[in-house]
Amino acid sequence: MNVVVLAKQVPDPEAFVQITGEGRGLEIEQKFATNLFDEVALEEALRMKEKHGGKVRVVSLGTAKAIEVLRTAIAMGADEALLLDDEAFLEGDGNSTALALSRAASKDPFDIILCGRQAIDDDRGEVGPMVAQFLGLPHVGGIVKLDCDGGKALAECEIEGGHEVVECALPAVFTTERALNEPRTAPIAGVMKAMRTTIPKVTPADLGLTSGEVGLSGAKVRVERYLAPRKRQEVRLIPGEPADAALEAARILVDAERVI
Amino acid sequence: MEKIIVFVELKGDQPRKASLELLSEARNVAASGRYEVGAVVLGPMSEGLREKLLSYAGKLVNITDPVLDAYTAEGYSQALSAFAIEEGARIVVAGATRIGRDFMPRVAVLLACGIASDVTAVRWMDEPLTVVRPIYGGKVLAEVSFSSSPAVVTVRPNTFALGEPGESAGEFFERQMGISPDRVRTKVIRIEEKTKGKIDLTEADVIVSGGHGMRAAENFKLLEDLAEAIGGVVGATRSVVDAKWRDHEDQVGKSGKTVSPKLYIAAGISGAIHHIMGMGTSKVVLAVNKDPNAPIFKHADYGIVGDLFQVVPALTEALKKRLGK
Repeated sequence: MNVVVLAKQVPDPEAFVQITGEGRGLEIEQKFATNLFDEVALEEALRMKEKHGGKVRVVSLGTAKAIEVLRTAIAMGADEALLLDDEAFLEGDGNSTALALSRAASKDPFDIILCGRQAIDDDRGEVGPMVAQFLGLPHVGGIVKLDCDGGKALAECEIEGGHEVVECALPAVFTTERALNEPRTAPIAGVMKAMRTTIPKVTPADLGLTSGEVGLSGAKVRVERYLAPRKRQEVRLIPGEPADAALEAARILVDAERVI
Repeated sequence: MEKIIVFVELKGDQPRKASLELLSEARNVAASGRYEVGAVVLGPMSEGLREKLLSYAGKLVNITDPVLDAYTAEGYSQALSAFAIEEGARIVVAGATRIGRDFMPRVAVLLACGIASDVTAVRWMDEPLTVVRPIYGGKVLAEVSFSSSPAVVTVRPNTFALGEPGESAGEFFERQMGISPDRVRTKVIRIEEKTKGKIDLTEADVIVSGGHGMRAAENFKLLEDLAEAIGGVVGATRSVVDAKWRDHEDQVGKSGKTVSPKLYIAAGISGAIHHIMGMGTSKVVLAVNKDPNAPIFKHADYGIVGDLFQVVPALTEALKKRLGK
């Protein structure tokens, strides 16, 4: 069972984000992590390899710093890593990013592509289904359980008030939900190995793409500017004993705010 | 006139609230004379539902290929994209529900066009079409424009106001798009329902959430009672879900659901950034916490500093009385 994992480096969720140049840019605190959902995807890939054999290949698109995500993946037990490292790949939308990733993922034969259900920086959640469509494959989104057997997989997803089990022909793409597993910590020996590993890099041309098809040039939507979210007024504390405060809160919610 | 196609998602034989919100908004936009609106239902629908939807949209199309009897991302994306091409649609829009977010990216690839997901505002009259979407868990908003047509958009539930149905005066068409069953390679083989008919957190108008301060699973009964009194749904923080006091599907936050209700009541929630990311766009937030310095008060409109085990039951009683229950 050969598995490809798509992993993204994202700013730490606690990182400070500030709008600059009247909305033209963002200044982001230089604190990075592997996208939480992608870590879950990698863990699942490693478990599949442990159960069925095969290889785990991890692919990332990003600036040179994104190599940290791939080193972490190798340290955790991935066999190979590939970085889409070229200025032309950057600032893409879901479309141009998924196109490049789908080419990179399918460079070698695979049975499964796993990635997080969304990246926690741009929150698009588009790449998994789009990679599947570019490759003409089925996908199952937001899985919390995965079992593979021969040419098919059984995936479990959360739906309203319950779960559903989906049968899916392989090869296929699965996007992972947080509840799928608990990612392991990399063993020291793995960290040592990761430090010695040379991680290959590819350009658009290596994937049979022009620089006009990827990143910002290939994007079909673009960010015009950044805006600050609506700021809440300072909190109004409702004083008094619990019963009195509750009465006043009820009055505010029903009569003043009219939200009930 | 330019065409807006609204994908209408069903829950049983009823349209989802997120879909009716879109139809309400699209009807307002159509009044400008620039756009006309077509509603699309994929798979079987009843006559009653047909009447209901025709009171929102001037045109309703039901695509009835047998492969659409149950939801699959492949089936739905092929049907909707084929129809959008046939209609020469300018905008294809769906609610950013689990299903909308699952198959609309495939629609964009099939139409070789751009997509903006989980948007919280649409500037319908802008040329090119411009939308606003929260990024970095809502720390920043991005104004996004389309450099391709059609524009594929999913809209966060509770973004647009729900309008009243009008006269049922539109036209109805039934269609098949000729989707071959072997082009759909996923199949739902089992559904395990624990709680039937529960409102999804993402579509709820009122959410009552509990955090670590709830201390134990059984104490959520207090929040269930409050939620029941005001027609709300119970949510939870990550620490609550990790402690197995509530199911993962109830989790609000970065690794759970993103919600945008009219009222969000946070009980015993400290207000970690992970949680704020999931509820920051709520319209009114009331926080109850015994710690006056809890960060949640920075993200709340109203606060009660006190013991939730006293405040929450008192609030339930006060609201029941005021609502005449």
